[in-house]
Amino acid sequence: MLQFLLSGIAIGSIYGLIGMALAISFYVTRIINFAQGQLMMVTVMITAELVSSGYPVWLAAAAGLAASCIIGVLSYLIAVRPILLSNRFSFGWLVSTLGFAVIVENAAAYVWGPTSQAFPPILNNISVPIGNAVLTGQQLLAIATAAILAAGFEIVRRYTLFGKLGMATAADPEMASAIGANTTVVAIVAFAVSAAFAGIAGLLIGPTTFANPYLGDTFGTYGFIAMMIGGGTERPIAAMFGGLVLGVCAEGANGLINSQASDWFPFIVLVVILIVSPKGLFSASNPLFRPRRPAAASR
Amino acid sequence: MNEQSSPVLEISSLSAGYGRFDVVRDIGLSVGKGEAVALLGPNGAGKTTVLRAIMGLVKQRRGLVRIGATNVSDLPTHRIARGLAAIAPEGRRLFLDQSVEDNLLLGALHLRRDQARVERLLTSVYDLFPVLRNYRHRLSSFLSGGEQQMVAIGRMLMSDPEIMLLDEPSVALSPVAVDIVVKAMLELRKRGASLLLVEQRIDVATRVCDRLYVMTHGEIVEEMTPDTVRAGGMSILSKYLG
Repeated sequence: MLQFLLSGIAIGSIYGLIGMALAISFYVTRIINFAQGQLMMVTVMITAELVSSGYPVWLAAAAGLAASCIIGVLSYLIAVRPILLSNRFSFGWLVSTLGFAVIVENAAAYVWGPTSQAFPPILNNISVPIGNAVLTGQQLLAIATAAILAAGFEIVRRYTLFGKLGMATAADPEMASAIGANTTVVAIVAFAVSAAFAGIAGLLIGPTTFANPYLGDTFGTYGFIAMMIGGGTERPIAAMFGGLVLGVCAEGANGLINSQASDWFPFIVLVVILIVSPKGLFSASNPLFRPRRPAAASR
Repeated sequence: MNEQSSPVLEISSLSAGYGRFDVVRDIGLSVGKGEAVALLGPNGAGKTTVLRAIMGLVKQRRGLVRIGATNVSDLPTHRIARGLAAIAPEGRRLFLDQSVEDNLLLGALHLRRDQARVERLLTSVYDLFPVLRNYRHRLSSFLSGGEQQMVAIGRMLMSDPEIMLLDEPSVALSPVAVDIVVKAMLELRKRGASLLLVEQRIDVATRVCDRLYVMTHGEIVEEMTPDTVRAGGMSILSKYLG
């Protein structure tokens, strides 16, 4: 049982990072970028390609992340902004971001072929016993990285001027521009940060899945489930908690039902959770996490 | 406009609206430096649209809006908001999930590299509304309507603009809160601020402003002074305001 829990937390950290990637861009722009999984794949493919060409892993990973960020920004400029400029209430981005995802995925398949390529192992040869369970160094790295990124994002969001500006843009973009915020730049930064989160998730899962152009389909879907379970649409860090719940459920289903159960069980979990808590388990509107009115302010 | 004052806001032949419809047509008005001017009119007259057009929040179809020496007609909103004009909008529109002080500091976004000036402005806001100093760490959603209006005016002050736009600051407030807001506007006048005030309450407009424009159906139909209104009684405006 402990093994399921720890392995679930490890894979859940990856789902949580992708969920946060989706949630960050949604939080600021109210747009779900369905190409988020493909942005993760871009980092994985470019890192694998550069490492196989002889470049050091750190340089390859940095280039992969940079490529994801650039394509993430392009996804906003090409697939989102023109639609919002013509009608800011349009839902055309639902189709355009999906279309962008398909284009990126097929371009990757064209360039690298549809089969998996090697990805450099990172700490995979290290095993750490915890009680009667074992985690690889790779899994521990995933958990630690996700924890640092989630906490770091929350600190920036709540305690820096840029984070507060993001919150203001999320709450009322028109008023944010009326206090001097260039909301287009804020949106571009949000999409770049989202892509970086997705890319880092890719670097953490790459040694397990290897580099495949279709990687984004599965992980994009799990990231979306993580965001919805957690309530990341209201605050991005909730998507990380959603990812952890999803990861533990998926690993538990694999171990306790059968080895294919993680393909369908998370959807049951999602439906049940959304029935019980429609805005997600850890959303700001959940009574457990709602800020309390100070007694002195009561009238 | 005062004889000696130069216009800080000058609008000529302005038409603006939403979709295919002009909400305001061929508007012309001016506000001098240190002057307070009111736009009066019934609901739907287009008063708010004038303020939104000045801020660039509504597309200007024709005409010219100049703030100081700058033609702002083609500037994006965020550029206008960086020291040219600032608005305390209808409904206050605070960032409710942020504290009072964060709302105020966001108003000074374009001054973020001049912390000394930001501190001075923050102190001046707290001097104007001392109650906000006590509530500075409180979420703005937990404030009363009057306190929220103080934050909205304070946020507007924080950008240190050339012209301040106030959209019905007295609406839905208690008489005590209205009095506080009016006194704050009079204090701003003492400090030399230039104000364009949209109001439905004639008593508030006449207490605060030097001149009044009356709008109906998207057009300015009358310009008068508070003395004219006082001399002629409120009935002088009733034919327009209903």
